[in-house]
Amino acid sequence: MMLIEYQSQRVSLWYFRLALVLFIQQVIMGLWLSINYAFTLPQDLVNVFPFSTAREIHTNVLVAWMLLGFMGGTYYILPPECGRELYSPKIAYAQLIIFVAAAVTAVIGFLFGWTRGKPLLEIPFPLNGLIVVAALLFIANVAMTIIQSKQKSALQWMLLGGVTFLAVMYLFGMPFYKNLNTDYYYWWWVIHLWVEGAWEVVTASIVAYIIMRVTGVDRKVVEKWLYVETGLFLFTGIVGTGHHYYWIGAPDYWIWWGGIFSALEPLPIVLMVVDTWMHVRERKNPIVNPLTWYYIIGLAIYHLVGAGLWGFMHTLPPINYYTHGSQVTVSHGHLAFFGAYALLNLTIFYFAMPRLKGINKYQDRLGKWGFWITTIGMFILGLVFGIAGILQTYLERFLDIGYSTAHLTMMFWFRVAFGVGLVFLAGVVITVYHLFTIKPSSIPAPEPVVTPASNI
Amino acid sequence: MTGKTARLIFWVGTLTSAAIFLWQTYDFHMQTPKFTHTDKLTAEVVAGKKVWHKYNCNDCHTILGFGGYYAPDMTKAFYRLGENNIASIVQHPDVMYKNSFRKMPQLGVNETEARQLVSFLRWVGDIENRHWPPQDEKFVQAYKLRETQPQKLDKVHLVLQACGGCHTFENQGRNVGGDLTTIANRITYDRQTLINYMINPQSVRPGVTMPPQDVSPQTAAIIADFILSLKSTKEVSK
Repeated sequence: MMLIEYQSQRVSLWYFRLALVLFIQQVIMGLWLSINYAFTLPQDLVNVFPFSTAREIHTNVLVAWMLLGFMGGTYYILPPECGRELYSPKIAYAQLIIFVAAAVTAVIGFLFGWTRGKPLLEIPFPLNGLIVVAALLFIANVAMTIIQSKQKSALQWMLLGGVTFLAVMYLFGMPFYKNLNTDYYYWWWVIHLWVEGAWEVVTASIVAYIIMRVTGVDRKVVEKWLYVETGLFLFTGIVGTGHHYYWIGAPDYWIWWGGIFSALEPLPIVLMVVDTWMHVRERKNPIVNPLTWYYIIGLAIYHLVGAGLWGFMHTLPPINYYTHGSQVTVSHGHLAFFGAYALLNLTIFYFAMPRLKGINKYQDRLGKWGFWITTIGMFILGLVFGIAGILQTYLERFLDIGYSTAHLTMMFWFRVAFGVGLVFLAGVVITVYHLFTIKPSSIPAPEPVVTPASNI
Repeated sequence: MTGKTARLIFWVGTLTSAAIFLWQTYDFHMQTPKFTHTDKLTAEVVAGKKVWHKYNCNDCHTILGFGGYYAPDMTKAFYRLGENNIASIVQHPDVMYKNSFRKMPQLGVNETEARQLVSFLRWVGDIENRHWPPQDEKFVQAYKLRETQPQKLDKVHLVLQACGGCHTFENQGRNVGGDLTTIANRITYDRQTLINYMINPQSVRPGVTMPPQDVSPQTAAIIADFILSLKSTKEVSK
């Protein structure tokens, strides 16, 4: 039985592989950061490889692997969705090479102090140029595939809209702004409008596609939900950007608009959980690979807790006044990124990679270990950062104790975080190893009832 | 719900939000000169911002609450530390944080860059951002009081907020330069020497890491009296 319908879907395999390698690198760098917090490092080491360099690698590699996952995922679902091959697999490979070359050069450059010194957007101007070229090639390829296809669907346009939105927002991070408040104003156009706008649109589209294929639920139903979810994501997420503008020297109404709209931001995620649950209940296809279901359900719930609930509490203005820029932010950041986007990427990988290798039902023992270790590990890590952050907030912002003194109390918690981080790394290595060496299961899979493409 | 309703929700939601946001963006630009005093945004300040980016300060320090969470927020650093301390720290972090549990890298910042950075941080400190971060507001208040009427300041208040950037006292402040009570019981200087020491530490104790403090002799005298009072009794008279 053919598991992929179009040969050009194969281009996504290399995107996934490179993303997974970068994922491991990101986690290793994160462990190094926790060591910086937990112990006093010698000055000579700090001079050569300071925290700032490690952090820019940690965060940029995060963005790089997630974008690779999104792009690969888009290339994977586009041909069956359009009913034709990709416009050009060559462009897809060229774009991958340019993107990865820019990313690798950037990381090496960071080690030698070649940086723009703007968190998460540290990549120097020439490399940004390369990223823009790669993004344009990507969008052109996606757009041409959609335009030339005979069948048009809401999902295609949503996906194209999402990736275009993503690329356009990136441009606002590139200029040098003289005024710090304007700098941060537009910095959030990239960061916030990515994670709470463009990335959500791409996520919603990819999840909708996977759910449709896995459950065999009718396209009309899935696409209807997709519209409502994406509409709500954008409605709450765009003005919700204001929750970053409370303390940057901006007009008063941001407190209200930002506060109210970000309080509404969990709504679309709740809807996504409900939607996933309903589709799972109404599925027409038998469960072939339980692990994929773990990831889909895990994604929905973790997304709600990490991004939705944690974010909700943290962005209410009276709370944010105390927790802004503390370890509470770190806790929220880790749970939200892992819950929403790392799990999304892993869902795509577990959906696509076995099929790209022609495996219908795979052995999933190792993969289940990986799933539970990473999800529980990250949850505990989020709690540990949260405890450190609440301690810090209480000591520093309530009792008015100095920053360093407050940070001293966190050393213990960061030693715990390092330990949990090691476990998390083990989980990631297991997952990546499993994905790279995925093998068919000896137990035959039940026959799907809908379309040949909907088996999993 | 029909497909048509769903599409309507999507378009109305997205476009409404985008319209509100774009209007707010326009208004933000209109009001930014007022909130950030753009008339004081000189070439020196911009040069300081470039130094800030060049050494990637923002990946350890937060500013306006954003960036790395590894080192203190720099929004009101000018008021917390003062010009000389900032310049000393960025040029000689290895000396300044010799005894600290947290190290700052020796970045190779030169004197000109240090001054530019100070100008930048001074300008940032004046951004009207609803007195955030909360714990730094006392430094801003104290700085402004010191400038206008040092003689009327409450002693404990003054010392903590002027010296608390490096010294601790009753568990407040940052433990970089040692606890003031311990120091008081250790020093052998008389009042005048202590005043000279604060204004120019090198003239009294060559090689000491404390940078010159930007205080008037009158203010230094008030601080000296306070510190010497710690020596005789453990109870602080407030």
